[in-house]
Amino acid sequence: MATFLQQVVNGLSLGSVYALIAVGYSLVYSILLFSNFAHGGFLVVGGYAAYGMLNSMGMNIWAAGAGAIMAAGVVAIVTERMAYRPIRERTSATLYLLIASMGVSIVIENVFVVTIGGRYRALPEVFPSQPIVLAAREAGEAALRFFPGAAEGLTPLLTISAFDLISLGVTVVFLLLLQMFLMRTRWGLAIRAAACDLRTAGLMGVNVNLLIAIVFFVAGALAAVGGIFLATRYTLYPQLGNMITTKAFVAAVIGGLGSLPGAVIGGILLGLAEMLTAGFISSQMRDFVVFALLIATLIIKPSGLFGRDIRDKV
Amino acid sequence: MKKSLLGALFLAALGAALAYVPMDYYTEGILMLLCINMIAAMGVSLLTGFTGIFTLGHAAYMAMGAYTAAILIMNYDVPWLPSVLAGGVLAAALAWVVGVPTMKLTGDYYAIASLGLCEAIRLVIENWQSVTRGARGIPGIDPYTTRAVAVWFFVILALFMFNLIYSRWGRYFRACRDDVTAASLLGFNTPSIRLVSLLISAFYCGIAGALLGGYLSFIQPAMFDMMKSTELTSLVVFGGLGSMSGTLLATGIITLITELFRPISQYRMLIYGAVLVMVMVLRPDGLLGSREIWEFRRRRAGAGKEESR
Amino acid sequence: MNAPILEILNINKSFGGVHAVKDVSFKIEQGELAGLIGPNGAGKTTVFNLITNVYPIDSGDIIFDGLSTIRLKSYQVIRRGIARTFQNLRLFGKSTVLDNVMTAAQVHHTYGFTESITHLGRWRRREEIARRRSMEFLERVGLAGRAAQTAGTLPYGMQRRLEIARALALEPILLLLDEPAAGMNPEEVADLNKLITGIHRDLELTILVIEHHMDLIMQICPHIVCVNFGAKIAEGGPDDIRKNPEVLKAYLGDDEEAI
Repeated sequence: MATFLQQVVNGLSLGSVYALIAVGYSLVYSILLFSNFAHGGFLVVGGYAAYGMLNSMGMNIWAAGAGAIMAAGVVAIVTERMAYRPIRERTSATLYLLIASMGVSIVIENVFVVTIGGRYRALPEVFPSQPIVLAAREAGEAALRFFPGAAEGLTPLLTISAFDLISLGVTVVFLLLLQMFLMRTRWGLAIRAAACDLRTAGLMGVNVNLLIAIVFFVAGALAAVGGIFLATRYTLYPQLGNMITTKAFVAAVIGGLGSLPGAVIGGILLGLAEMLTAGFISSQMRDFVVFALLIATLIIKPSGLFGRDIRDKV
Repeated sequence: MKKSLLGALFLAALGAALAYVPMDYYTEGILMLLCINMIAAMGVSLLTGFTGIFTLGHAAYMAMGAYTAAILIMNYDVPWLPSVLAGGVLAAALAWVVGVPTMKLTGDYYAIASLGLCEAIRLVIENWQSVTRGARGIPGIDPYTTRAVAVWFFVILALFMFNLIYSRWGRYFRACRDDVTAASLLGFNTPSIRLVSLLISAFYCGIAGALLGGYLSFIQPAMFDMMKSTELTSLVVFGGLGSMSGTLLATGIITLITELFRPISQYRMLIYGAVLVMVMVLRPDGLLGSREIWEFRRRRAGAGKEESR
Repeated sequence: MNAPILEILNINKSFGGVHAVKDVSFKIEQGELAGLIGPNGAGKTTVFNLITNVYPIDSGDIIFDGLSTIRLKSYQVIRRGIARTFQNLRLFGKSTVLDNVMTAAQVHHTYGFTESITHLGRWRRREEIARRRSMEFLERVGLAGRAAQTAGTLPYGMQRRLEIARALALEPILLLLDEPAAGMNPEEVADLNKLITGIHRDLELTILVIEHHMDLIMQICPHIVCVNFGAKIAEGGPDDIRKNPEVLKAYLGDDEEAI
């Protein structure tokens, strides 16, 4: 039971990061109706930017974080402007965008391989990582104590590392910020309108190109934040984006492509599934269960939990 | 219609020449690699160029073919030919598992699933050590892929592929690519057609993988990773989505360049990625667009001979 | 009298809050040339989409050739003998004109998979027949000279005619034409009139035409159904429709286009 709860806690933490990345991806999908495979690239840019700023420039985590967000956001905007816009303006078939996005992803990844090198780098220790005991039991006593202060003489049952707690917290903050942005601001409204029908939003006077740039910036920013946490957890290397984004895509599919709440729930579910599998079955099966969940979703309910039915107008 | 016969004879003559003309070891090696890559590329071309379904993980089918053949030959003493064919069939079976749920959805879903598949296959191979010997791979495979084998497999599979796209199936695939709604409102069972395309493309990649194992005498999971998948897709995009001869041309060019420019191999992936983006942005038609090499006379506006694919 | 080939029975369809088709019923006899009219947004194309099951129906029934179609998939409905054209053209733009028609025609002149990859057996013969039939349909719509041209490069009016040829090549029992005159000048509309009546006469098809331009329908359709805001407001011959106050209100009501 303790292992179960422990893995649930771990799963929530991992899942929250997936959620952050999946949300950015779903946001772009909801507007442009294509899967931006370069999303992982934005993540990696954020990670390396943070690394560079923390190491070489000795900034603190807040500045480095802001810098990473800016860097990834700008890369996202540039990618859209240079690679996607020309294609979008030419054709509405998404196949070309998919292929181009894959190309961008590979270019970003390999630019880092070729310039900085592919070895694993650890981010400086900016996040506290001591374990925080959530629940413990005194020797001999049956009752549990929650959030005990000092863990003297107690058997810890449920812990969460401070890092996990922080990443969970930060994710929640950013998701709330996103929610506020979408619900309470004019651009948020424009984005929601565009998610229903991009062309109509344009006809209603929304500056579509500017809107898309904003959406990409937001997606890049979210990816960067996720990237910083993932880089801290797994160390930083150019291919970090690949596996993580595959999982984020799966999370978005499970939640329903194009649905933001779906992406969050999908991400959390995926994190939970992975951690529970790692805890109870085996660590290697972790990645396998991701794929299995994907196939299961596609068979049972392909539009995912909250998916929209995107039908051609005939 | 005589074109079919002409085409078949041409391929047969080409095959005979390439298979038996004496050549040096180095050229022979490149030729065999070329044949193998071309077989895989034809498979991807059918799915992406002709049926409009983007795939990111086709190397998984090559892995399936390679490992099936190797395991049958080495552990069960099956002769190489049935093993290679079994490799193709099992690759198609794998594709069926992924394809049934995804072929009725839009292309994004298969693309994501194919990414996952590639990873999943790699995991299975690396962890099922008793059968696959894990990440170290399987060495010492009997080199059954001789020059004649590679060339004849290519010739026959190319003949089948060209015939296929010049048949009613070619029209079905292209209809699904160009407007899947219109296709289903012509009475086509579009998920079924797309699945057929996927199965055939997986079969081709499975064969290519099995032949690769027989050529290198060695296989390991790293040979069938994202780089390989991306390479295949890049070849098809570069050659032109919807042109089989374009795919072959592009494969020839890129394989030769890769071989000749070994020193820059660390930039290979970067170049593939850049090729993908630049072709899509600047010249989405790639080399030949959606026409075959021998079709460049048509498409003039106005009157012309009745021509059909 | 012929038995009705198509029976629309109290069909309803809503999209979110919009009740697009409200309790519509009508019957089309076999061999008729009928029209479905109504102002823009009246729900006409939705009716076609429901007949061909592009959207599932909310309630009601649709009976084609004696059997209900509402539980079938789109492609199965088509195979029963229905062909349609689209309001916003859906050609296979990258293929040739001939190929577009052959894609439909080959349905009736098929051959096996082995024959496909070897080009032996029935391949040559069937392809030949399909090609000949396709050229006949192209002749009928006046596009035979452009058989080798890429479909996407045709002028708009010809693209519309190509779509008709492609639909004909399915050799359907019922032909659904969705706004075939859209974007045409009066000359082209007159030609289209001739084309449709010619098809009706020569091929003995049942045809149902959607239009919101009255001139075309009034001239060629003896049986007309008029809808507005998703509901049927009138049904009858051209004279009945012309004089029907509901129809006049629908079209002229807030000074819209004149009949």
